[in-house]
Amino acid sequence: MKQTVVIREMEACHMDCSYTLDLIHHEVKYCQGCWNCWLKTPGRCVYKDLDTFYNRYVAADEVVILAKVVKGFVSANMKSLFDRMIPLFLPYVDVSTGESRHIPRYPKYPDIKFYYEGSFITDEGKQVFEAYIYRTFDQFASKQITVKPIESI
Amino acid sequence: METIILNGSPRGNNGNSEIFIRQFLKGMRTHCDVKYMNKENPEELASHVKKYDTIIMVLPLYIHSMPGMVMRFIEHLEPSAVHSKQAIGFILQCGFTESSQCKYVERYFSCLAKELNRTYLGTVIKGEAAGVYMLPKFMTKKLFTLLNQLGEMYDQTHTFDRRVMEKLQQPYVLTGFTLKFMQFTTKLGANKIMWHRFLKKNDAFHKKLDQPFA
Ligand SMILES: Cc1cc2nc3c(=O)[nH]c(=O)nc-3n(C[C@H](O)[C@H](O)[C@H](O)COP(=O)(O)O)c2cc1C
Repeated sequence: MKQTVVIREMEACHMDCSYTLDLIHHEVKYCQGCWNCWLKTPGRCVYKDLDTFYNRYVAADEVVILAKVVKGFVSANMKSLFDRMIPLFLPYVDVSTGESRHIPRYPKYPDIKFYYEGSFITDEGKQVFEAYIYRTFDQFASKQITVKPIESI
Repeated sequence: METIILNGSPRGNNGNSEIFIRQFLKGMRTHCDVKYMNKENPEELASHVKKYDTIIMVLPLYIHSMPGMVMRFIEHLEPSAVHSKQAIGFILQCGFTESSQCKYVERYFSCLAKELNRTYLGTVIKGEAAGVYMLPKFMTKKLFTLLNQLGEMYDQTHTFDRRVMEKLQQPYVLTGFTLKFMQFTTKLGANKIMWHRFLKKNDAFHKKLDQPFA
């Protein structure tokens, strides 16, 4: 059966999923920039609050993200989650594509469906936001990435 | 004209951002207040900065944008009054060699300035900066001179000097010899040497490829 993980910042209608990370009630600790996850305890963050999430994320086929737009960007809580995903990758850099990228630590990463709620003051703002989300999950080695406003689903 | 400099590194005064701030200030004659986001309450800090004409954030790139901690502060920032003439600028440094890694958040910062009703001074970008705190003096000389100049010009003109910015952001993309050289050294594994040295020192070398959550 297909494994789906949901990350959400809003109440959502019921979805079949193997795990939900509820960001309404869970405040993700900030990444401290200590590099322990690369250099002291490879693959593990000094904080343990996301351990179950990491487990389910790398096992998932698909991750559905329901995000709130804050000041034209992802919320601080969502951003901290992105920062804290660095332990899922190796420190080594690959430049074979002509750009620097981190090498995966795990054999596969889930496809991403990112739906957002909120508005932008300019079209440029919306484009930047979508481009940023694509880029982030491209760097996180996901193959299929969808980024759409929530009203389109 | 009063400016506040905000250090947006979770490592606060132990990080590379701090070194960038010190070198920028070295070029300035006018005094500038500096605050550390990792030591302040974000809501209080957002209210505190209202009384300054200009905010300059100095921060590391985290996953193509600002650290979560900095976004928390941005969440609390309120737009300036319409005719206030307040301004905002950014000095951004990152680990990867090519500064184009910063282009997404650079575009975002320019949109944010609009949303905050502040004049956008621009975003100064420097790649290959993760090791600045441990480099010997002769290797940081050029960088520090440029940062001193940036501070000096800012003091005089209240802008970021475009020519200095242009120099700092080289290389913007990996091309030609730089790219070939990097591809060659990664093939040899030379780019891993430094990581392996740290891992060995921490007695973690044998665990380097661990997949604890598989
Ligand atoms: C969680 C995390 C994510 C990072 N993401 C990026 C990135 O996307 N691109 C990049 O070039 N450097 C990235 N870096 C490297 C930092 O930008 C770099 O080490 C910087 O010099 C740290 O500055 P500081 O010492 O002031 O905190 C990241 C570092 C951390 C800890």
